[in-house]
Amino acid sequence: MNTFTRLIGTAAVALALGSGVAKAADLSFMSFTYAEEANKAIVQGVLDNFQKTEKLTVEPLGFAWGDMQKNIFLRARSKTLPDVAQLSERWLPTFASLDNLVDLNTVYGKDKLQAAFAPDALAMGNINGKQLALPLLSGSIGMVANKEVLAKAGINDVPKTVDDFKKALISVRDKVPNSVPYSMATKNNGSILIDFMVWNWVHGGRIIDDAGKVVVDSQQSRDALGFMVGLLKDRLAAPEIDRPDSRRLLAQGASAFYLDAPQTRTFLRDFSGKGQAFDANVLPMPTPVLKAGDKSVSVQWGHLLVQFAAGGKAKADDPADKFLTYIISDKVQTDLPLKMSALPVTKSARAAVAHDAYLKNWSAATGDARRNEVGIWSNAADLTNIIGEEVQGALLGQKSADDAIKSMQARLTTSMEKAKKSE
Amino acid sequence: MAVIENNVGAYPVSPHANRGGLKAGQNRIGLLLLLPAAIAFAAVILYPFLSALGLSLFEYTVEMMEPRFIGFENFVKIASDPDVWAAFWTTAIYVVLTTTGTLVAGLGWALIMNQPFTGRAVLRSLSLLPWVLPSTVSAFIWGWIFNSRYGVLNAFLMELGLIDYPQAWLSTPEGAMLAVVLTKIWLSIPLFMSFFLAGLQNLDKEQIDAARVDGAGNWAVLRDHILPHLRPVLMIVVVLGVIGNLQQFDTIYALTGGGPVRATTVLSVEVYRRAFEQWDIGFASAVGVLWVAALLPPAFLYLRMLVKGN
Repeated sequence: MNTFTRLIGTAAVALALGSGVAKAADLSFMSFTYAEEANKAIVQGVLDNFQKTEKLTVEPLGFAWGDMQKNIFLRARSKTLPDVAQLSERWLPTFASLDNLVDLNTVYGKDKLQAAFAPDALAMGNINGKQLALPLLSGSIGMVANKEVLAKAGINDVPKTVDDFKKALISVRDKVPNSVPYSMATKNNGSILIDFMVWNWVHGGRIIDDAGKVVVDSQQSRDALGFMVGLLKDRLAAPEIDRPDSRRLLAQGASAFYLDAPQTRTFLRDFSGKGQAFDANVLPMPTPVLKAGDKSVSVQWGHLLVQFAAGGKAKADDPADKFLTYIISDKVQTDLPLKMSALPVTKSARAAVAHDAYLKNWSAATGDARRNEVGIWSNAADLTNIIGEEVQGALLGQKSADDAIKSMQARLTTSMEKAKKSE
Repeated sequence: MAVIENNVGAYPVSPHANRGGLKAGQNRIGLLLLLPAAIAFAAVILYPFLSALGLSLFEYTVEMMEPRFIGFENFVKIASDPDVWAAFWTTAIYVVLTTTGTLVAGLGWALIMNQPFTGRAVLRSLSLLPWVLPSTVSAFIWGWIFNSRYGVLNAFLMELGLIDYPQAWLSTPEGAMLAVVLTKIWLSIPLFMSFFLAGLQNLDKEQIDAARVDGAGNWAVLRDHILPHLRPVLMIVVVLGVIGNLQQFDTIYALTGGGPVRATTVLSVEVYRRAFEQWDIGFASAVGVLWVAALLPPAFLYLRMLVKGN
């Protein structure tokens, strides 16, 4: 055997061993929670327990939240999709056309799923009658306050109206040095979208109506954007703030308010360095309303699990489906969501954790959450960029609120020409 | 020598040997040695480029499982897309500012490093630090310097009493562009300095001394002696700088993400955003093809210089 043949042989053995290692796990699970330092151990615990229970191994693939969509997209193109992946609820319409996505009604039966899951949670994974995802966690994006900062600013009652809110922000600005009273998202289009959508709703506006018509060119939307621009001008909000910055500022006592999901408590414990001791400062509150008597608004939020399989076909005894069954069992649902400070998704688990004071307060404060009116469209990513760019342009003084709204209307209308809705 | 050559001619040669065969063997070894590089080039550069070239003629969005041929429609769309033209303009500004800035700073630093002084060797080594650091790390360092809340620049200016409140440098188009340009200049100075320093080492010191004896000042020496001597180096450095800056992505994306709004969205960022934020691979590929077209003239110039032996 000459050297060349030996080299080829060695390479072939290495390749065979390598592929053996790659296929050693029974299933792969792509998750952004697994990539979060604050939550990695929680997810690992679930995977370890699943292995003990089912004698099946899981290969965890952690990617940052901001990189998840890109990785799924690339893996779909290169035919290397994982067996199960975690999604934000607003990403599902974008991936709904992937032919490897399993309709989980065909695996578990529609009736069984409806019997097990809370309707609001199950609806997040349903597109045009197909159950393309199962919910993992649920909740809403609402307003959170730091009680300690409110006390420093002499604020005894949480602000109920927009006027009260502005007064409270001024108190914080004047009495808490070097603070950002409201950590409004002013960076990252995905984060800016949530803040604009909430304040737009507060002012009575809509971005896109239920029929898919762009309706953002309204006085209400102008008022909402004008309100946000005013906050920045008055130094009640600050530039260069993304959601992770908001969490850090609130955790460090440098901000009084911001918008986030209930999961915020877990991040705040971590970022404050105080662990559960910081919980006493976390105050979920209703988003201020335009005038007394208006209904407070919040945005529906959740994490989903999707399954990928060849041809979109799967059976309940496939390893990936055993994993899904395990993760929605009461054992996991009464534990994982609580550790991550979110609502469980099954009816039985919700009943079992009904006593949890934080989640109870959160639900009471944020009330009925509205569905993300941008995230339900197949072109959500493009819509998010357009809204983010126009809002940021107005916030940074590059254009007036009026021009930004007009431009947003025109650009969104063009983008919506080919959009598909998830219902 | 002549004796040896004559003796060589007298040695008996095998009847099986022929000069053509020896040359062919050498050629085969040459090709074999070239093979790994050729395979790597084909796999990493040629194949992706040809794929992108092909995809630029297709509609291929996240909603489509298979691409659909649409001919030159993507290029027609580009022609009427103000965002792409804005990205071309932003790229031109970025390349001109960065290349000019690095040229001046690199040459200035090389001239200083060429002077004899104590600690020169240490300072020369330290000058290479930005080159050694991963570019994203450098971007985060500069992001920290410019940060509006805890940035060093704001702290320094407030300490001097030049500003009353922290400024959001990265939130203005000019500030963000300045930040990405300064970061790239800082990263590129070591490379440019090394080129210039190598050129300066060959400069005839007696020529400079003679010029000084004739009354030439520093500016005259630089203009009439150093710059003409460095002309070939300058040409190469400018061309390499333009190519490198046209390709720049990581520092810009890490520092500003192409914002605020689209103020620092150069062509590389535009391609990335179209592909991975708007999920339109066909359109992104078409922009990428135009981006390559923008790279071709300086690349051609560089290759011509190499072939001509400059």
